[in-house]
Amino acid sequence: MREATAMPTSRTALAVAVGLVLADSSVVVLALPEIYRELDVSVTAVAWVLVAFNLTLALVAVPSALASRALGPARLTVAGLVVFAGASLACGLADSIEVLLGARCAQAIGGAAAVCAALELMPSVTGSERAAAVAWASAGAIGAAVGPGVGGLLTDLVSWQSIFLVQVPVAIGLAVALAPAARGEGARAAVAREVRPAGRPHLAANAALALVSAALAAALFLIVLLLIEGWRMSPIGAAAAISVMPLAALAGGRIGSIADGRARAAAGAILLAGGLAALALLPSATVLATIPSQLLVGAGLALTLSALTEAALAGRSPQAIHGGWTIAARHAGVVAGLLVLTPVFTSDLDTERENAEQAGTAALLDSHLDPSSKITLAERLADRLREEGERVPVLDPAFEPLPDDPEQRAQTISLRANLQDELDRAATHAFSDSFLIAAAFALAALAPIALARERVEL
Amino acid sequence: MSAARLIGLAVAASAALVILYLALGGSSYAPSAVQDPCDPRPWRDPSGVEEAAEQFTLSGLDGAACELHVSREALAVALASESSREQFAQTYGISDAELEAAVRAGVQRAIDDAEDSGVLSPIVATPLRVAAANLPVDEAIALIQDARGIFENAQGILGDAGEALDQLLP
Repeated sequence: MREATAMPTSRTALAVAVGLVLADSSVVVLALPEIYRELDVSVTAVAWVLVAFNLTLALVAVPSALASRALGPARLTVAGLVVFAGASLACGLADSIEVLLGARCAQAIGGAAAVCAALELMPSVTGSERAAAVAWASAGAIGAAVGPGVGGLLTDLVSWQSIFLVQVPVAIGLAVALAPAARGEGARAAVAREVRPAGRPHLAANAALALVSAALAAALFLIVLLLIEGWRMSPIGAAAAISVMPLAALAGGRIGSIADGRARAAAGAILLAGGLAALALLPSATVLATIPSQLLVGAGLALTLSALTEAALAGRSPQAIHGGWTIAARHAGVVAGLLVLTPVFTSDLDTERENAEQAGTAALLDSHLDPSSKITLAERLADRLREEGERVPVLDPAFEPLPDDPEQRAQTISLRANLQDELDRAATHAFSDSFLIAAAFALAALAPIALARERVEL
Repeated sequence: MSAARLIGLAVAASAALVILYLALGGSSYAPSAVQDPCDPRPWRDPSGVEEAAEQFTLSGLDGAACELHVSREALAVALASESSREQFAQTYGISDAELEAAVRAGVQRAIDDAEDSGVLSPIVATPLRVAAANLPVDEAIALIQDARGIFENAQGILGDAGEALDQLLP
């Protein structure tokens, strides 16, 4: 079978297919605030745009891998990419959250088929199962890391819908490129039906993958919401701000070649936990303050995901099925992370909004502005809060025009800075508990990694 | 690279960043806590009627908020309009009677603070307390919101007695 498919398939096409599908796990992260406003839904509902995809992927990954054994991996890869393209089109045209969520589920079904079958095809173009596992894991990690940046760029330059629409020609192009392999496979259906025992999945590695992925979901989802909704950055600005993470992931990948798997998995989980804990303790509302944390998270992500995926696949065959288990574990972890953290930070946002309102009111009441200016300003600020609804408000317009009197002008500017500081503090602090919980997920991954030490070499 | 060295580096990098952020005040980077309204809040030196009236307002809010066990700031927002007052009462489960009692307590606190700061003399403060205790609640709220009348002319509150007291004031 592998010889039959080796010629028409290419390593690049398979890697791009895997990266494209797994990027969808995170590509909409930067678009969520835009979707949330445009489709007029709650933060909890918009989180389901991520949850629906990841949950479906987790549920259908192993069945897809079994299907690739029965139907032929090249045919399933092509079929999966076609379904993925159609579902992406539906996502891009969705005008309600219900349609979008349905299309996201369909995207995940097609994507799971393509990703799991691609792993079965990869050894034919990489030369060995180990090399295939490394290439497959790397393509997925790069896709997941690059996804948010690309999504932010497209959201800012075009629209959130464009994130999905640009995937349509890419997926179709990949399907066309792989079509000759599928045709060749059809002629050798008897080979495609070859069945090998799957064996038990690597429980420790998959459990650790799930926990690390829960932490990773938090890292991407929460940082983006903090930057865009909390600190009022544009999607393109946020995309630039979080570009540190994939860069650190690339650097972390280089470390991978000079250390053993168990150490990489443990060190990665520790770095991830450290970076997330530091995000919970940000001392200021500046992008600069997030950079050291992003460096740790990115490097940790690269180290631990690649080590754990390779461990889950090493010595196990068929790879597609064990690859399916790693996909299921990773995306179940993402879902668990989102489901645990979303209610925590939405509740914390409400609390901190109230705290900021009280702190801002105190600053206004205690300011040295003359009383009539305070009353005027209070009315303007109330108007701003009404206009902005649930969002963190931009207060500057309420302070315009500034008073002519130099002393009152200075007092007004000082008060404006004071109120902005209170808002920044509230927005930042609202995410602290969630980042700490995410750090706990990453630390918890050390338990299965340590357990595996006794039984199975990671 | 050895396993122990890689793990050691990861632990050191993570711990160093967390300790650095703690040292830079990361654990307290949150909205400023508001002051307990039951705690005394000294008046800033009022240089005119406007400033004195403003301090009176703030003291009145403190007094009422202390009585209701809410913050001064939450009460200030609540008293901005009829609808916000109703929403506030609903949120905190406060009855009209409790709100009335709190507003009157606020006026008493404001008079006490004004007297303590030397802005009101005891001669004016004592009858003012009696008059304020019998004010309809809407007028008591209006007094907390704008107390300039007290410092411009006590007559508005005390009627003829106020006029007489005015003549006694320096």
